[in-house]
Amino acid sequence: MDNRVRELRGEHGWSQADLAERLDVSRQTVNAVETGKYDPSLPLAFRIAKLFGRPIESIFDPGSST
Amino acid sequence: MRAVHKRYLREFLPAMLAYVGLIVLSGLLLPKVASLPWRMGLALLPLLPIVLAIRAMVRVLRDQDELERRIDLESFAIAAMATGFGFFSFGLLLLADVGWQVRGGAVAIWVMPCLFATFGLAKLLVVWRYRRHG
Repeated sequence: MDNRVRELRGEHGWSQADLAERLDVSRQTVNAVETGKYDPSLPLAFRIAKLFGRPIESIFDPGSST
Repeated sequence: MRAVHKRYLREFLPAMLAYVGLIVLSGLLLPKVASLPWRMGLALLPLLPIVLAIRAMVRVLRDQDELERRIDLESFAIAAMATGFGFFSFGLLLLADVGWQVRGGAVAIWVMPCLFATFGLAKLLVVWRYRRHG
């Protein structure tokens, strides 16, 4: 699944550690989500969407995986 | 280090220290005790802190974030299968009388250390897989 988490984090000027702290997850998790190695659960995806103030579908794109 | 892992170390390390102390105590006292119930009690005494260590592991597994939990669960699954496979293979070789003389207790006592060791190795592999870019 593609996502714009890295791009949105960059727009806010946050490091991975900053974003991890705001989401109450590890930096490792933020990195794995950004690189597409790990697809977050629905609750975490909603937390990310809420933090960036955007609809979830504008951040996560299932792409060809559906 | 996140708070959940600090709490894990605060719970796990004292438990392991207590385990080392009790295993030494148990080893020193066992040869001097003849009563069967006391011998059983002394032999099992080091398990008390192991229960606390297992509790610490379960708590960290529950409270860490979803990817950390997934990594630990995948690693546990790999470790359980690898350890089971290894001891099963070893058991088959022993039953085939290949010339090894091993006491049952000496084999059984290595199951848990092997499980933890393979868990550590499996976790390195699983973490690497999730860290790898692109």
